[in-house]
Amino acid sequence: MSSLVLFPPLSKETPDAEGVLATWFVSEGSTVVPDQLLAEVQVDKVAAEVPAPVAGVVHLLVAEEAVVRQGAPIARID
Amino acid sequence: MTTHASESTTAPAPRAPQAGEQQRPEPAVRAQLFETMVLCRTYEEAILREYHADKGPGFDIGKGLVPGEMHLSAGQEPVAAGICAHLTTSDAVTATHRPHHLAIAHGVDLHKMTAEIFGRETGLGRGRGGHMHLFDPDTHFSCSGIIAEGFPPALGQAFAFQRRGTDRIAVAVTGEGAANQGAFHESLNLAALWKLPVVFVVEDNDWAISVPRTASTGIASNADRAAAYGIPGHRVEDNDVEAVYAVAAEAVARARAGEGPSLIEVHTLRMWGHFEGDAQGYRPELAEVPSHDPIPRYEQQLRADGVLDEAKVAAIRDRATAKVEDAVAFAKGSPTPDPTLATDFVFA
Amino acid sequence: MTIMEAPHATRRLTTSKAMVEAIAQEMERDPSVFYMGEDVGAYGGIFSSTTGLLEKFGPKRIIDTPISETAFIGLGIGAAVEGMRPIVELMFSDFMGVCLDQIYNHMAKIHFESGGNVKVPMVLTMAAGGGYSDGAQHSQCLWGTFAHLPGMKVVVPSSPADAKGLMTAAIRDDNPVVYVFHKGVMGLPWMVKNPRTVDEVPEDEYVVPIGRARVAREGSDVTVVTLSLSVHHALDVAEKLAPQGIEVEVIDLRSLVPLDREAILTSVGKTGRLVVVDEDYLSYGVSGEVVATVADVDPGLLVMPPQRVAVPDVPIPYAHDLEYAVLPRQDRIEKAIHSITTR
Repeated sequence: MSSLVLFPPLSKETPDAEGVLATWFVSEGSTVVPDQLLAEVQVDKVAAEVPAPVAGVVHLLVAEEAVVRQGAPIARID
Repeated sequence: MTTHASESTTAPAPRAPQAGEQQRPEPAVRAQLFETMVLCRTYEEAILREYHADKGPGFDIGKGLVPGEMHLSAGQEPVAAGICAHLTTSDAVTATHRPHHLAIAHGVDLHKMTAEIFGRETGLGRGRGGHMHLFDPDTHFSCSGIIAEGFPPALGQAFAFQRRGTDRIAVAVTGEGAANQGAFHESLNLAALWKLPVVFVVEDNDWAISVPRTASTGIASNADRAAAYGIPGHRVEDNDVEAVYAVAAEAVARARAGEGPSLIEVHTLRMWGHFEGDAQGYRPELAEVPSHDPIPRYEQQLRADGVLDEAKVAAIRDRATAKVEDAVAFAKGSPTPDPTLATDFVFA
Repeated sequence: MTIMEAPHATRRLTTSKAMVEAIAQEMERDPSVFYMGEDVGAYGGIFSSTTGLLEKFGPKRIIDTPISETAFIGLGIGAAVEGMRPIVELMFSDFMGVCLDQIYNHMAKIHFESGGNVKVPMVLTMAAGGGYSDGAQHSQCLWGTFAHLPGMKVVVPSSPADAKGLMTAAIRDDNPVVYVFHKGVMGLPWMVKNPRTVDEVPEDEYVVPIGRARVAREGSDVTVVTLSLSVHHALDVAEKLAPQGIEVEVIDLRSLVPLDREAILTSVGKTGRLVVVDEDYLSYGVSGEVVATVADVDPGLLVMPPQRVAVPDVPIPYAHDLEYAVLPRQDRIEKAIHSITTR
């Protein structure tokens, strides 16, 4: 049963605003635990941490510094 | 420890205050104020003597047993006596380049202080600091040669006392010239904002080295500046030790009660030069200065009030002389620091 | 000089998060530690030096100050004198001018002037460095100036693990420690970052001794002595030159005071060639001090003249291309190495 990790909705006024996946803290295929820091993302001036929602093996769906729409999947945890 | 008068109880009753006079302190307190001032003056006279003893021929500032700059506090004793009477050695006092009267009134060990002024290994700073950099952790006393810059650390001491839930306070003293320095203004604002237990004291002795207050400060009194920071400000005229005592009582109580800082400005008198070696050619009223000496004036007052008599005054003077000369002898008999250890004590 | 540390459980953090973790762990351990500065509360520090700490420790221990550096740095000094362990932040090292007296005449001198009787166990943190067009008054490093004035230790971490280890050491040190964090090593999401600004950081208590350099990369052909962001640039160049047959040894100083002169001499003794990379100004500073370290002991260790790659004695320009012409970046480092290794 896999879980998708989504780019958080940092800008409420513009729900499909684009942001950047600024930093990956885990590498492709590593095992993560719930709440573990996965990434830091940024929309405009606001940055946010993205924690792992579940435990499992993480697969990165976007590259670091990639432009990503809010709500889009950035990782999958199996 | 701050000493208490051990006067006998056979002194005549003090005369009752006249209408309009401030409430006078108890006779024992008044006598103690006098004794503190005499001790301060006796000390400065001894340092004056020792400082100049071996500077000649001419005046070589780097020469002798007490080399370097020397800033003596003759005439400013009322500030030290009046304020420090309300303090214990657990309270902090930060002073300036003219620190001796405050150190003495606050209870700094005279031996160690004098040894430091003489640059000896037994000094407060092991000879590393000298007369402008006296640090005594036992009495939380410190002084700095950078005027007004002693205010911010005093805030920090007050901050620590407050954080620990004590009623200890910090007294930060500076001159009227320094009241135009940035650190003064930043400190008043921050202390007021954070309600720190501080009493700010400005010794207005009219002269910032050779520049009179009228040429340095845009307003008549620094006590008025206190209002700009939202804190009480009082100005004491006439170098009056009992007025200082009264105003300080309020300010100290306010700080101890957690109500925040106050500012006291005392119009005091720098009887000698800014530093020793200062010819004071810029000072037109120089000839009249001795006539405004606060100590004989207070002595006269206390004698008239029956608090002191000739014998008591003599005893006070003798005690002061004994203490001071003992401290000087201790200093002179102490070893000078070892030059091969000159780079020690940079880091703990 | 390689520091062998006991194995720790680690995970990856940015330098800023590692720095914050050290502060948080020490604040939990020691109630006398507190952090004070401009915008360190709700904002979390302009360069993320205190992110999340206000929520964790509250406004009595993470304290926003007015714009009064002289007053609040001095306040830190007084609190330290009375036995607390303040961490006080100067927002930009460039701002040292408005409060330098408290720093070098008070914080750094009280211990000495008191003959060792009064301690000032304080950390003074500050952001430094350029590369993002912040102009001449907001891009300086100035660690050489702090290092030049006696009485304060100076540490400059380049990596997340060192940021944590040196912060822990700084807080525990009974002396004043100036802790300089280059904005470009913090791993901020809003600034271009070198990949090495995110790296493994031990999870539990971690101390890096102050005064010990680290061999960031071993090599036999040339020694590059450097610090802060320039460590990453030097490593980039080393990686590029290795396939060309030039093995670069990179020494990360980590501390300027005390300076690990032994590490410099050991490496130069091995390679005979020295390049110093320093983002502070060229003259009268760190790069000269490193060269003097060798010259004072044995100039014969060097088979070629030493190369200094620093900011030339010029205010840092605003326009991107001008700024990048004066910063000691990979291109200038590579050129310097080639100039003394071409056989």
